[in-house]
Amino acid sequence: MRETPLSNCERQFLLKGIEEKKRLDGRQTYDYRNIKIAFGTDYGCCIVDLGKTRVLAQVSCELVAPKENRPTEGILFLSLELSPMASPSFEPGRQSELLVKLNRLLERCLRNSKCIDTESLCVVSGEKVWQVRVDVHVLNHDGNLMDAASIAAIAGLSHFRRPDVGIQGDQVTVYSPEERDPVPLSIYHMPICVSFSFYLQGTYLLVDPCEREERVMDGLLVIAMNKHREICSIQSSGGIMLLKEQVLRCSKIASVKVSEITDLISKALENDRRARKEGGRCGFAESMPVERITVLKSDGAQIEMSDAEVGSEAVTMATESQSAEPLSEVGRVPSPVVRAPGAVQVGECLQNAWGLGEEEDEDDEEEEERLEMQEDNQRPMKSKSEVVVISDSEEEEVVILHPKKTQVKDSKPETKPEAPSKKKKKKKQPLH
Amino acid sequence: MAGLELLSDQGYRLDGRKPSELRKVQARMGVFAQADGSAYIEQGNTKALAVVYGPHEVRGSRSKTLHDRAVINCQYSMATFSTAERKRRPHGDRKSSEMSLHLKQTFEAAVLTQLYPRSQIDIYVKILQSDGGNYSACVNAATLAVIDAGIPMRDYVCACSAGFVEDTPLADLCHAEESGGGTSLALALLPRSGQIALLQMDARLHQDHLDPLIEAAMTACKGLSDVLDSVVRQHLQEVSVLTRD
Amino acid sequence: MKSRLLGSTMEVDGQSTLSLREFGCEQNLLSRPDGSASFVQGDTSVLAGVYGPAEVKVSKEIYDRATLEVVIQPKVGLAGVKERAREQCVRETCEAALLSTLHPRSSLSLVLQVVHDDGSLLSCSLNAACMALMDAGLPMGCLFCGVTCAIDPDGLIITDPTAQQEKNSRAVMTFAIDSAQRRVMMSSTKGSFSVNELQQCIAVSQRASEKIFQFYRDSVRRRYSKTL
Repeated sequence: MRETPLSNCERQFLLKGIEEKKRLDGRQTYDYRNIKIAFGTDYGCCIVDLGKTRVLAQVSCELVAPKENRPTEGILFLSLELSPMASPSFEPGRQSELLVKLNRLLERCLRNSKCIDTESLCVVSGEKVWQVRVDVHVLNHDGNLMDAASIAAIAGLSHFRRPDVGIQGDQVTVYSPEERDPVPLSIYHMPICVSFSFYLQGTYLLVDPCEREERVMDGLLVIAMNKHREICSIQSSGGIMLLKEQVLRCSKIASVKVSEITDLISKALENDRRARKEGGRCGFAESMPVERITVLKSDGAQIEMSDAEVGSEAVTMATESQSAEPLSEVGRVPSPVVRAPGAVQVGECLQNAWGLGEEEDEDDEEEEERLEMQEDNQRPMKSKSEVVVISDSEEEEVVILHPKKTQVKDSKPETKPEAPSKKKKKKKQPLH
Repeated sequence: MAGLELLSDQGYRLDGRKPSELRKVQARMGVFAQADGSAYIEQGNTKALAVVYGPHEVRGSRSKTLHDRAVINCQYSMATFSTAERKRRPHGDRKSSEMSLHLKQTFEAAVLTQLYPRSQIDIYVKILQSDGGNYSACVNAATLAVIDAGIPMRDYVCACSAGFVEDTPLADLCHAEESGGGTSLALALLPRSGQIALLQMDARLHQDHLDPLIEAAMTACKGLSDVLDSVVRQHLQEVSVLTRD
Repeated sequence: MKSRLLGSTMEVDGQSTLSLREFGCEQNLLSRPDGSASFVQGDTSVLAGVYGPAEVKVSKEIYDRATLEVVIQPKVGLAGVKERAREQCVRETCEAALLSTLHPRSSLSLVLQVVHDDGSLLSCSLNAACMALMDAGLPMGCLFCGVTCAIDPDGLIITDPTAQQEKNSRAVMTFAIDSAQRRVMMSSTKGSFSVNELQQCIAVSQRASEKIFQFYRDSVRRRYSKTL
């Protein structure tokens, strides 16, 4: 799919706004959008939201032979992927100019600035070293991919733990996380990219351009820095003419932004570390914004807590209601049929088990009965679901289960033979 | 830095240059007859060849055509024998496609592309021998080739690399200085207006040192532009002598 | 608002544990795609984005219905044969559910990104895909959901297995089940099992699917609770 072109009116509107120091989302010239950093359950997995731009980074490692000219150094491999999810114009597997540019920038920002100690990744000199691989997936493109990618990559690297290795003679043992605690990488510094977009022959400049702003810009200047005010990489792109003074001014702005972002990353890492230490739950499931109306989450943790009781009750419920019966029947009946297994047998076996005429008559009554029953069940559910409060306690749920259970139990004598028949009927259709 | 002393106590570099001294530049224009423009440049031991075709009709996919200016198409490649270790250089690896992209950006900024709407200008550059400063050699060679092709530009585009060792900026790095892992900056300048067409820097450098480093690279670029200017004038003189009668 | 999950045990040749892990879903979380959803089952998590109906490439045009493309992006490395196989499963399920004849000569593309794999990945992908298609507002004949069952060496059926359980099991089966008649729309199996066990797994999946469809319903109701 091709990108929808920007109309002239939109272009002029945006440029006019920039001239008047107004941005679409109400930010000031030097403002960043909100940055949110979330870590996954895996080590080295991180999702960064920069406004609406969303990037996923996953760090992984494997043992490989080192490069010939660097026998004692581990390898840092970076790969940025423009997922077709991010924008309709991204095609899977195509090496577009943007992709090459972003990949090289990320490589230069992280690898050439030697942000991780590659020598500590050596296991056996000249034979085995760790290759640390950073996969960055762009999930949603709303401008300034570079900054988001660099934040995700460095946060992922700082979060990552590689398995510990032991060497006895020629034997290299890789310990699983249960045997020995995994080891963090040694990070020297955290380079972070800051992008500046230029407009109207370089007269106007914006920090952290969004997608619309990127489409009307003349050119981009990316400065990667760490919080020690060391510049790790500079890259200008697009046909802009810069003056030296502009570059120096940008580098000053960048140093302020980088120290803010670095603090944010360290805070996120600290939070995650604490959560893990306390044995609490971590991962993306926990960072879901439950208060949003588009989010629904079923709370499983509580179910596990009250497992003993509720579990067993639910068990009986399930067994005594529809599902288990047909199964046990199926389990009981077809031993002669199953001896010659085949696709056709599936249906026949069912027919054999269920094609009992006597039951069919009772079936209708029973079905009605059960329908009523289900309605009963659903009523409390409905009332519950209309409440948009998120904090229902699980007791209520248990309450829902009880009536069902009791009802089921009450109707047990009749249900037993019939329920399966209904089930069977249902199944027959697809199978025949 | 790899145990190599890049700057001696007397203030001389590995190859005996002073910090701000450029390598010897030799250039020739119009080396090929069939191309619209061509040039060959030697900067120390780095040798580059540039060929320009165009402006001509857009070839390949028509969708690339721009209605208000010319498309610039750049291709950068390195000869297999250009470095000490002879390895196969697959076409279109990340580094060379990045370099092609940078060359394209530089020349889009410098060439008056709006004079040739719906057309295309091809610039092919090949590094014959590599000894540091590949990007700058390519840009300088391509500038001469574009001038040779008679395509109007805003100004010469001159590029030069610069490094930073022991608080001293070094101009025009050679391979030994570049591979040490120290700071290296590549800058393409339009010397008359002092505008930077491309700026690229690698490895760590404290923010306070950025100013002197850029300044050094800009001075070096201005020096280069004088050399290129004299090459062009000499070439024109030779050509006009030949065509006079 | 939580929907209670099937936390049930069932007697089958002795006993087996049937439970779904806790699940969660967020719709419309990405700004660029026409529809997007992330689906979480325990630790397994998949993000889905849908574009379309939109202009289609001439070479892929089908004159009487929409072309559906499904891409699954693995978390590490490039997509391989495994991902292709999953893509196929998801695509066929979606094609069966979508009323693609309503949008002839157009393209629909569904992109799935694996965020974390802790077992039951295919069923999670199916659920995420269905939620994303719903969010995109594409016309569908029915909804669908995916349920994975594993049979462990003792013959116990485990629904919604974790990666570890899948690894230890004798057979793993994934079914896509439609919401209208609880029919099986797609099945993907691995390992050896008897016809009996297949029957049981289908029955179990059909039961489990009710919980998932209830969850779909709850989440949609919650989503539109302000507008209704």
